[in-house]
Amino acid sequence: MSDLITLAFTAFIVENIILTKFLGICPFLGVSKKRSSALGMGLAVLFVILISSMVTWVLYKYVLESLSITYLRTIVFILVIASLVQMVEIFLKKISPALYKALGIYLPLITTNCAVLGVAILNINNNHSFVETVVYASFISLGFIFVMYIFAMIREKLDYSPVPKAFKGTPIALIVAAILAIIFSRFGGII
Amino acid sequence: MEILYAVLVLGGLGFGLGFLILLVDKYFHVEEDPSIDEVVELLPRYNCGACGYPGCKEMAIGLLKKEAKPDQCKPIKQEALAELRKYLDNHFNQNK
Repeated sequence: MSDLITLAFTAFIVENIILTKFLGICPFLGVSKKRSSALGMGLAVLFVILISSMVTWVLYKYVLESLSITYLRTIVFILVIASLVQMVEIFLKKISPALYKALGIYLPLITTNCAVLGVAILNINNNHSFVETVVYASFISLGFIFVMYIFAMIREKLDYSPVPKAFKGTPIALIVAAILAIIFSRFGGII
Repeated sequence: MEILYAVLVLGGLGFGLGFLILLVDKYFHVEEDPSIDEVVELLPRYNCGACGYPGCKEMAIGLLKKEAKPDQCKPIKQEALAELRKYLDNHFNQNK
């Protein structure tokens, strides 16, 4: 049990997917202008990461490994992720058209979000069991939501701050991201 | 023999997931304005993004809302552009 808590904490803060592994930067910069869309994106990514890690783990352990065709790992994982994103898209269009519109092109881009494929492959590389996979995937994506939300809050404040003209918009956001990454890199010493 | 496994696994997976998407699409189908599809048919459907929209479908929605102009589409052929203009004129006159 304590192993799982350590794993969860590591995934959430210490090995934060955005700020220490630098995966999933595209939505991090693209959809973080408003808190509501950041949260919506985060939840969509949580769903995709969680389901895709479970499906890919089962596929890898019971199909690819037993048939010794593990070299198909990448293409099989991408196939699973792409179809999941497609389903999330159809689902969101029905359930929440406003969120669907706010996410726009970033929703189909979850397909190529390296965080999703990254988590699926990290689970295999780190030899996680199924329970560990579920814990790792959910806390990685919770960490993703956490950082997205913090970043969106800062960017909302930045809109009203007297930023020098040359730094307005994306440049200052990148500087903020760098400072956040410096802060998060210091969590590395905890465990 | 091994290549057969690869083909079977990938083919089966692709087929299964495709079928699943079909089911989800059927179950969560959203009714849309049929004229969106008709406008998309008239566009080149390259999804190149040169018009400033993410794809031809978004461009079609923009055209129908009068937010976009037909000549924003860069790769469209002259005849197709004329046809698109005609369709949009008809559409807007009918809905007046």
